[in-house]
Amino acid sequence: MNLAKHWAATLDDYVIDLGWSSDGSLLATASAAGPVSLFAADDGAKTATLPGHDDGTNCLTWHPSQPLLATGGQDGKVKFWDAPSAQHTASAELGGAWVEHLAWRSAGSTAQPSQSLLAAAAGRNLAVFNPDGSTRHAFPPAPKTISALAWQPAGGALAAAYFGGVCLWDADDFVVQKEFAYANGIHALVWSPDNRWLVSGNQDPSVHLWLPEQNDEFHMSGYESKVKELSFDRDSHWLATGGGRDACLWDCTGKGPEGREPTMLPHEAKVCAVAFQHTHGLLATASQDGTLHLWSPERKQPLRATVKMPAPATKLAWSPDDRLLAVGSEKGIVYVLKCEG
Amino acid sequence: MSNDTPIPVTVLTGFLGAGKTTLLNRILSEQHGKKLAVIENEFGEVGVDNQLVIQSDEEIFEMNNGCICCSVRGDLIRILGRLMKRKDKLDGILIETTGLADPGPVAQTFFTDDEMRTRFRLDSIVTLVDAKHVVQHIDSSPEVKKQIGFADVIILNKTDLVTPAELSALEYRVHKMNGAAKLHRTQNAAIDLQHVLNVGGFNLSRATELDPEFLAPDYPFEWAGAYLLPAGAHDLVIGHCDHGHEGHDHAHDHEGHTHHHHGNENELDIVIMPVKSLDEKDLAAAREAAVLVFADWENRVKPGESVTPGGTLHRLLLDHGHGHYPLTIAQPGHYLVFEGCGEEPLHIQVAGENVRPSWQEDYEHHHSHDDEVSSVGISTPGDLDGKRLNDWIGNLLKTKGGDIYRMKGVLAVKGSPNRLVFQGVHMLFDAKFDKPWGASPRTNTLVFIGKNLDRTALNEGFKACLA
Repeated sequence: MNLAKHWAATLDDYVIDLGWSSDGSLLATASAAGPVSLFAADDGAKTATLPGHDDGTNCLTWHPSQPLLATGGQDGKVKFWDAPSAQHTASAELGGAWVEHLAWRSAGSTAQPSQSLLAAAAGRNLAVFNPDGSTRHAFPPAPKTISALAWQPAGGALAAAYFGGVCLWDADDFVVQKEFAYANGIHALVWSPDNRWLVSGNQDPSVHLWLPEQNDEFHMSGYESKVKELSFDRDSHWLATGGGRDACLWDCTGKGPEGREPTMLPHEAKVCAVAFQHTHGLLATASQDGTLHLWSPERKQPLRATVKMPAPATKLAWSPDDRLLAVGSEKGIVYVLKCEG
Repeated sequence: MSNDTPIPVTVLTGFLGAGKTTLLNRILSEQHGKKLAVIENEFGEVGVDNQLVIQSDEEIFEMNNGCICCSVRGDLIRILGRLMKRKDKLDGILIETTGLADPGPVAQTFFTDDEMRTRFRLDSIVTLVDAKHVVQHIDSSPEVKKQIGFADVIILNKTDLVTPAELSALEYRVHKMNGAAKLHRTQNAAIDLQHVLNVGGFNLSRATELDPEFLAPDYPFEWAGAYLLPAGAHDLVIGHCDHGHEGHDHAHDHEGHTHHHHGNENELDIVIMPVKSLDEKDLAAAREAAVLVFADWENRVKPGESVTPGGTLHRLLLDHGHGHYPLTIAQPGHYLVFEGCGEEPLHIQVAGENVRPSWQEDYEHHHSHDDEVSSVGISTPGDLDGKRLNDWIGNLLKTKGGDIYRMKGVLAVKGSPNRLVFQGVHMLFDAKFDKPWGASPRTNTLVFIGKNLDRTALNEGFKACLA
């Protein structure tokens, strides 16, 4: 197996976020300084440069089925962009604080356009927007600044984390389904694709796993440092986590990881990004020394390929067909790698 | 790693109106060519173009069930995290707190995790004090006391609005509360920025950065002088001499320092101790002995009655500030005379001629305010037992961490050729071995600043750690 450079592009600043359009034809990249660039997946041609946000862009996310991009920034706004025409179509305000978290309700739940919802968080404020930028619902402010958002894959609930816990909001009538207390900071949230597990990466440092349907929870500690990197594989079998010099894999089958030894995938420096493929089994992990590894966790010799980059990765994103891996870097370079062999 | 050296962070605290915004604007306009980010409080009004200004609402995270030592500023964690995400590194970060902010959680934020520790360096906590108005708050406001206690740099601003005497009194009081901070006097917050930025105040790297005067413990006497005396009957004279000889000089560095006489002005406490030599060791032993004698019952002495060397506290009864007391010396040698109030001219006459002191020292002694916030400095030569030190500090922070705002020190640990430099905020504590001692003497210097500190217990606890 080989990871080959497909193309690369340079942004004006740190690559703060990137993502593939639902059809895989475009890669959107946001620089920390503000501009958002769209590149053609095939050859890396820049198809548009969107102004993004004054004072800096924080995050971006594509609509799960349309060429519609949403971005959030330090101007306190959520902006909607039509990719083919590179037009700014709508803006929404969220109370002035930085918009730091965006999440579209996933494709499986959006057969009807009315089901299409964008969740956005700024400070303690949380709201859901329609694709035209109008507000569907504004939630009561969270007790503390919202630090992560994740839609349940089936689309029935939105999880919002803050210092002190996670709130599960019902996606249809926007009432609280459940609240999970957690007495520390939460940096990341992820659901398993089968909707069974909701997992937080924490400041303390640990990962905490909830089984919302069974009202059960597990706590996995022993990390070197706070856990900001989380990814589930397609089968909901492996949970990949950062939080140290090794990428740490928990086996989430059956009764879950408690009592099981995690699989450690070693790096020479602190792991800064982890990403499983969508429908295949490869895991990409990146560390602060610029190394990127590809792994097949179920193999005896799991390491499949290694690439060394001049700057640490900031974000990893597999294309919808899992053929291309987009890597953003601290120095502003975007690499698109092709997985061969 | 692309960001190897940590970004220096300066925290500005001070009451509303103390001059934080003026200082911030001054820094931003004078630091041309440097890329600084300002995190200002929700009422901030910094207005300089081309600088990165971020408004922040204070958000306290209690990491450990409400323990104040484990409270950090969640908003700062988030904003600093975002400020790391830049291709070109910032030259510095300024954090302006609200007037009532507790500096504790701000400082503790930089101890939160390894990422915070490696990416950022808390350079100093700078506290602005409104010299005119602070006296109205200082007694009633725990916030003001904390802001002074936490500071590495204290700027007494608006000095043009107070008299020199008021300013000296304030400076003295502030210094007593926090003896480790560098004090500056300003008008309109006009200060050379080298005293504010990149001062390395938070991480103590050299023992000499601590004010040695501050490190002197609180003595019950204000002045001591050593005299070489022959055997015989001499005369101890208090008050100005008739024939105009110079007595000992009380050099008070604080101009305009108001030295009011405490207690009865026609009484002066005196202890006379023989001392083997003028070696620091012998002087220190005599000083320690005198401290004990000063705590003893006084022996009232009328003019004309004699005084003797040794463990007696003589309370000289003066007549309009004057008095002659026969002093009989059996063994010729060095004698230390300790004076309770350093304002009184004191002479020893041998055969009618004044003997000049061969050595003398002033001891600051405060009578005015007993602020609950104070500093305790310890300076002791010798090597420490690493394990005992660890146990002592650990236990101290566990039991008193809430009251200890700051501590800093440079220590000599037995077996290590390098200085152990440590600093802490409440219970959070950071120690690392710094440069080697080399030829310099292995001396331990440490300072605690906090509320209700027990000077004696801290000194004794520390000395018990000596190897």
